[in-house]
Amino acid sequence: MSIISELFGKSPFGPLVEHTKKVHECVELIKPLMEALSHENYIEIRELHNRVSKLEYEADKIKHDVRGQLPRRLFLPVDRIDLENFLRCQDKIADYTEDFSVILTIRNTKIHPNLIDKFFKLVDQIFQVTGTLLTAAVELQNLAEVSFSGAEARRILKWLDGLGEEEWKADRIARDLSRDIYKLEHEVDTLTIIFYEKMIRTLGQIANEAENAGDMLRGMLVR
Amino acid sequence: METFVIEIAALLGLYMAWNIGANDVANSMADAVGSKSISVTQAVVLAGICEFAGAVLAGAPVTDTVRKGIVDPNTFLTLTGLTHPQAAALFVIGMTSALLAAAIWLNVASIMGMPVSTTHSIVGAVAGFGIVAAGWQSVQWHKMAMIVASWFVSPIAGGFMAYLLFKFINHSILGRDRPTRAAIKYAPYLVSAVTATVVLATIYKGLKHIIGNVKWFTPEVSVIITVALSIATGMMSRFLIRRRLEGKDTLPVGEQLEMVEQVFVPIVIITSCSVAFAHGANDVANAIGPLAGIVKVIQSGTVVHKVGVPFWVLALGGAGIVMGLATFGYKVMQTVGTDITEITPSRGVAADLAATATVLICTRLKLPISTTHTLVGAILGIGLARGLGGINKSVTNKIFGAWFITVPVAAVLCMFLFLTGKMYFFDYLTAICTK
Repeated sequence: MSIISELFGKSPFGPLVEHTKKVHECVELIKPLMEALSHENYIEIRELHNRVSKLEYEADKIKHDVRGQLPRRLFLPVDRIDLENFLRCQDKIADYTEDFSVILTIRNTKIHPNLIDKFFKLVDQIFQVTGTLLTAAVELQNLAEVSFSGAEARRILKWLDGLGEEEWKADRIARDLSRDIYKLEHEVDTLTIIFYEKMIRTLGQIANEAENAGDMLRGMLVR
Repeated sequence: METFVIEIAALLGLYMAWNIGANDVANSMADAVGSKSISVTQAVVLAGICEFAGAVLAGAPVTDTVRKGIVDPNTFLTLTGLTHPQAAALFVIGMTSALLAAAIWLNVASIMGMPVSTTHSIVGAVAGFGIVAAGWQSVQWHKMAMIVASWFVSPIAGGFMAYLLFKFINHSILGRDRPTRAAIKYAPYLVSAVTATVVLATIYKGLKHIIGNVKWFTPEVSVIITVALSIATGMMSRFLIRRRLEGKDTLPVGEQLEMVEQVFVPIVIITSCSVAFAHGANDVANAIGPLAGIVKVIQSGTVVHKVGVPFWVLALGGAGIVMGLATFGYKVMQTVGTDITEITPSRGVAADLAATATVLICTRLKLPISTTHTLVGAILGIGLARGLGGINKSVTNKIFGAWFITVPVAAVLCMFLFLTGKMYFFDYLTAICTK
């Protein structure tokens, strides 16, 4: 066996990007879920939930692959802790997406007409946050090419700055939506309000984890 | 009788050369194959040609009878109570044992996947023979110290050089806003540097034995040749690179990076070939040096310092290396070519160039360093510059382990073989050497 061929470990960045893409496929189903909910199509919701579950499972498998490629003896160009945390945040995004779909399946909740627009606004904003993260993360391979520095790295740092702002916008929309929900406390029953709150909290967590993942990415870049 | 002994020695020399080919040669092409610049088959053919050419054209026509002068041949002649034919017989047994010991150790190391320097093996074996045959004082310990120093010097120097080179490539070309435009501007300088290193390495390391006999080939002339060739290739490459990359700077950065990497493909092939050529020129001596010594001593009946190497011996060494490459090195290259996706042509150029330059400089400083170890150090250096996706740290431990045990193991093995050989063949060989 040649020493040179042993010297090279497998780079974890390829599978890492695969994982990001798979996680984002989960997130992409939030909007169809929301649409199905607004049409009160509960069969469709169940189907979508199954798809989210499957995607989440697939993402988990990729995660294990990446973990498997990170033995202690591997000397990485980025901080190992950052990389592992990045993976964990991504994993949580998929988990929370699945939670969201579960919430919609456990009770046939109706969305109050006053809330529909803002709910969609929130969902779109969440998509904006995770989308920004995806764009940044997909560039990881290019980044490895330029050894995490130079113009490419600066460009991605700029995107990541934008990520924080998008998350803040999502937070604001969520607060606004909460206020609207409590205005309806005499029209809608308490259980439904609890469900609305659950939905908002889960969506907020997705945005939060996306922001955290972005921070980890930043950590990798500026090591 | 005489030819029979020579035939046995030739077989051992071939076995040693086979091991060198199997163990070491694949490494010289690793960067080119790993970056997918050439296919495995192409690499085997290219490495075979370059190694054979290096061994036959540039392999030492004159060699020390004792590898690297680690043992002083005079001590055998001055040993009390030994006649010249007896000293010659001892020497022949010793060199044969050394050849066999080094080859066996290399073979075992190859099977166990240990990165072992062929030079260190043969030097260790010869030292072992010197110790049992003529005592501790016969070994040139200061030369041994230089070899120990090289364990640290070669990877560190190679790593440092590769780190700087890759940082330069990254800073001036890959990390720019418009990599293609930067490549047109800076890559020709790199081509000039590669040319200078390759030409100097070929002159001083590859062709030094041939050039030594040519009167007009003074150091000044070689410097002039080097500079002229560097400027010429630099200008030529600027023209070629511009034709390929001009106007491509509006494409997305990812695509531009890919195109720039394509520019490095021919460069990494050339540098890999020069590593293979230099390797052939240097390491073939590990197999044929002792063989040439044995042949000469058997024929003349006395111990000499330096011997001419007959052409058939050089060709034998070259053929052995190519055989090793074809039978075993092929597999190694396949592993490199299919499992490594991380190295890109630009990294390959940085590693090869750093290794060649380090070997060149250290050879000029008369430091014995190992090509393989320098290359490993260079690749680690690129890893430190964050240039590689992942590097297996445990390999470095393995390398250190192999360094430390090679010399003693080869020495002990050779002592054992020498004492056995002396017991059975001493009288027989003394008779042959009595003229």
